[in-house]
Amino acid sequence: MTTDNLTSNDILKTAESLRWQIGREFHDRLMEDIYTDAARLADRAVTRPDEKPRFDLDRAIDRIVTSRTWGFPMMILLFTLVFWLTITGANYPSQFLASILIDTMVPILHNLANAIGLPWWISGLLIDGMYLATAWVVSVMLPPMAIFFPLFTLLEDFGYLPRVAFNLDNIFHKSGAHGKQALSMMMGFGCNAAGVVATRVIDSPRERLIAIITNNFALCNGRWPTQILIATVFIGGLVPAYLAGIISALAVVGIAVLGVLLSFVVSWSLSRTVLRGEVSTFSLELPPYRPPQVLRTIYTSLIDRTIYVLWRAVMFALPAGAAIWLIANITIGGTSLAEYLINFLNPLGILIGLNGVILLAYVVAIPANEIVIPTVLMLTVLMTGVNGGAGAGVMFNAQSTSDYMSLFTAGGWTLLTAVNLMLFSLIHNPCSTTIYTIYKETGSKKWTAVAALLPLAMGFIITFFVAQIWRLFAG
Amino acid sequence: MNDKKNLQSPISNPASPAAAAAGCATCPAHNAGNLLKLGVDMTDWDYVIALAGNPNTGKSTVFNALTGLRQHTGNWPGKTVTRAEGGYSYGDQRYKIVDLPGTYSLLSTSLDEEVARDFILFGQPDVTIIVVDATRLERNLNLALQVLEITDRAVICLNLIDEARRHGITVDDRRLARDLGVPVVPTAARQGEGLDALLQAVSEVATGQTICKPHRVKTESPAIQSALQTLTAQIQQAFPEVPNARWVALRLLDGDQRIADAIRSGELGDLKRQEPEAKQDLVIHLEPA
Amino acid sequence: MPDPLIALSIATGLLGLTAVLFWPERGLWARWQHARHLNERVQSEDALKHIYKCEMKGRRPTLESIAGVIHASLDNTAELLSAMETNKFVSTLDGDIHLTPAGREAALHIIRAHRLWEHYLAEETGFEEAEWHGRAERLEHALTPEQVDELASQLGNPIYDPHGDPIPTASGQLISHGGQPLTKLPLGTPGRIVHLEDEPAIVYAQLVAEGLYPGMPVRIIEISSERVRFWANGDEHLLAPMLAANISVVAEPVTAEQETEEPLSPDSDTLNRLPIGAYAEVLGIANKCRGAERRRFMDLGILPGTKIKAEMRSPSGDPTAYIIRDALIALRQEQASLIRIRKPQAEAQR
Repeated sequence: MTTDNLTSNDILKTAESLRWQIGREFHDRLMEDIYTDAARLADRAVTRPDEKPRFDLDRAIDRIVTSRTWGFPMMILLFTLVFWLTITGANYPSQFLASILIDTMVPILHNLANAIGLPWWISGLLIDGMYLATAWVVSVMLPPMAIFFPLFTLLEDFGYLPRVAFNLDNIFHKSGAHGKQALSMMMGFGCNAAGVVATRVIDSPRERLIAIITNNFALCNGRWPTQILIATVFIGGLVPAYLAGIISALAVVGIAVLGVLLSFVVSWSLSRTVLRGEVSTFSLELPPYRPPQVLRTIYTSLIDRTIYVLWRAVMFALPAGAAIWLIANITIGGTSLAEYLINFLNPLGILIGLNGVILLAYVVAIPANEIVIPTVLMLTVLMTGVNGGAGAGVMFNAQSTSDYMSLFTAGGWTLLTAVNLMLFSLIHNPCSTTIYTIYKETGSKKWTAVAALLPLAMGFIITFFVAQIWRLFAG
Repeated sequence: MNDKKNLQSPISNPASPAAAAAGCATCPAHNAGNLLKLGVDMTDWDYVIALAGNPNTGKSTVFNALTGLRQHTGNWPGKTVTRAEGGYSYGDQRYKIVDLPGTYSLLSTSLDEEVARDFILFGQPDVTIIVVDATRLERNLNLALQVLEITDRAVICLNLIDEARRHGITVDDRRLARDLGVPVVPTAARQGEGLDALLQAVSEVATGQTICKPHRVKTESPAIQSALQTLTAQIQQAFPEVPNARWVALRLLDGDQRIADAIRSGELGDLKRQEPEAKQDLVIHLEPA
Repeated sequence: MPDPLIALSIATGLLGLTAVLFWPERGLWARWQHARHLNERVQSEDALKHIYKCEMKGRRPTLESIAGVIHASLDNTAELLSAMETNKFVSTLDGDIHLTPAGREAALHIIRAHRLWEHYLAEETGFEEAEWHGRAERLEHALTPEQVDELASQLGNPIYDPHGDPIPTASGQLISHGGQPLTKLPLGTPGRIVHLEDEPAIVYAQLVAEGLYPGMPVRIIEISSERVRFWANGDEHLLAPMLAANISVVAEPVTAEQETEEPLSPDSDTLNRLPIGAYAEVLGIANKCRGAERRRFMDLGILPGTKIKAEMRSPSGDPTAYIIRDALIALRQEQASLIRIRKPQAEAQR
């Protein structure tokens, strides 16, 4: 530390006075000088072919993927393929994982606990609570992510994704966002936490914040099962059996499209209100196409994205499982904590066309949307006393559509409850993994709070209006 | 999950330059204390290598090829910029390699550029590998020239030479090396071509067998030239150890607050000029033409 | 369960009330916050600034003009002035209002704060140019001199505000731009804009709408009592002399380089008008492009002399991808309009 403070200040003073002399175009001049030098050096070292090759593969591909005729259909086709591969490809491994982790392991663990003489409440908390919640999350989340992320990364490495941003930028531009938000949104369909991390490719501060805050409106992997189940049970039941499949699928797609529309609307209003003063720039390089390195991509996307997101989810699922088991098993004066909470939340739930059970499930299932339905089923059984389930605090899935229907009917559900549950599942606060990721990415409590509370408030307002208007006309 | 595993004091490295006498031929040039502040623990490593380059130049392919995917990712301390770190052995030396964010420049104020710039300036890596795309040399030299203003321990990795060949472009790497005053190694990292030569060049710069005389950007305007001279002289007088006084002067004239703060706080004065004096017969001098 | 109609109307009412209260910038809360700042300090600082500006322009500040600036009645203004006189900021001699040395220093401090804020708003935020002045008018009163110095150093001690005005130094020195009104520039003499007067706001908005910025080269073609016709940066402009007088210019010696590099000719265009497949050479980046965006352009290699080819347009109409120094870079229409090019010639192929 040999700093001579006086000298340091002298230098800074000299610098200040020199800046007045050299004028304000210094930065421009400097860049010009660097590039002039770069051009001179490159010119000396590089020999180019005398005539340009007649066929340029990159431009040829570009002409197709960004053409007015083929650009959008190709994009839709490719992403439909990616989602189809993900959903159908994940089905079997998901069931396989569930059967091993839940159907096989839970009894084994219980036997083991009995053998070493653990008290029921310890084994309940550890196995029925923490283990089961984690097992749910892993078996629902892991297979689709292990398929979706590598596919997505392959498209990225090939150089196609920047073209998607290029094709779609105008739409995003009109809502005050960046074309690359298309990519983070699509990533959000896999997992919102990964989508939030993916906003790093957006190099403009304002557009990046917009992409982070609105990523939650991309219906994530953890919420698809809820949507599909409710649509199948309630919406599919409205029409003749041969139409049930297509109508319920349309209902789910409708919800996903609503999410995309909402993210445009929210982007638009954010960029015109609270985010108006943030710096905004746009630049998008369209890199040359390069054949992706398949094995390396699979490896790195598994490490960087899948395992990373899964690990965070597991860390949040453990305490959630414990909380779910505890509220169902701690009783005060013969009534469980869950019942107190449900009765407390019920008036609010009814007001917005849901009920106390669903609200409580959303409170305890903040860590992971995957466990909302199992928790709702468990709490419904707990409240109504109908047959089903494996005991207080033990999450489960029903066997068939009619089983679900009878459970839900016993819980007092109507078509309105189902519609509003689908809406609320789309429009509520992000899961805690995502909230934590948003905090890590923005480094700001304020923007994390906005990202968490804005969709929640919107969810309450929208479901409230739907419920009241529904009742006004239907009842 | 983060890389905070080492929270002990940095004294455990006997090869730290603070302990070593100046003028040692094979001593690492890096500044272990400053590196630790940047989150890089040098306990088990002999040299630290920074990897800089434009986006889409195959920088991460070079990184993966050198480290064989033995890497770990984390964030820069206090920042949300990801970094990959890995290592390799070459000869008897162990090299730690830090992948800097891919940027077009180091002169703007984006977070990525700030992180890359700070690492090269304050981290004082033993060698900075600058990955450039042989098919777009002019654009890539912009960053390379900026890096060479900051550090004179650099190796240019002329990557994607296979792509250039396919397009019929030839790059005279010897002429480029002479012009830039640093070693230039043509590679095709995807095929593993040229990586041995790259490692050899890196080790020669790290151990001081190659002494670089990097090209410095010339400015046309006489007003800027004289301002630059005045200020550079003052900086050299106040901080005789600072290896890149001219660059510091440029940043001050551009109103760069981070650099002004570093001068005020004395952080800049902590940087040491690293000129290992290798045996003369081994030294390959690279002079700008 | 409450009646749906009642529930709906209550909820709508609540939402409306929240909006009225907390709407950004126009809600009651924002207005109240704003009004709270319009206190005596603000009024006396605005008065100081006004008197200072009048002195600089050789005009006489009057009680009425001050009252107009600070939006107060004549009685209140007189009261304020006498308080300022007690504090030794102003002196009144024979009905003339003068600044004392202390008053002048205080005025310069406020001008420094104002211009620093404008610089901040231009460089570090995404606010529109038309908003800079108004926002700076409010922000300038909020800081102590120490905080102002802090702000200056965070901004890298800028020396000019975005309108081309020099920012007074911390020690209260103000280096004049030495400009004269455009109307005084001799016919045909090349000049350079050094300043655009930002008050009154309507006139300033008109100058901005003309695309005029400090740093632009200008040359008068025709001047009469009705109109001033001049070239600025390759475009022809036509202004009333009253407006043109709000532009300050300095005469500039012509160098050979400028004759070729800065063509004051109609053959320049903007990049957004370059047809797909055509090549063009960059002449420069518009001066209104500042801060992060300008630096980004230059990092990408968009500099005078750079050859650019328009390669393809997005199927949704915008952005357009250009080949810039061998890389394919997409720019939006509004960005491309900031880049001046030489009109492509038929044989302009490389």
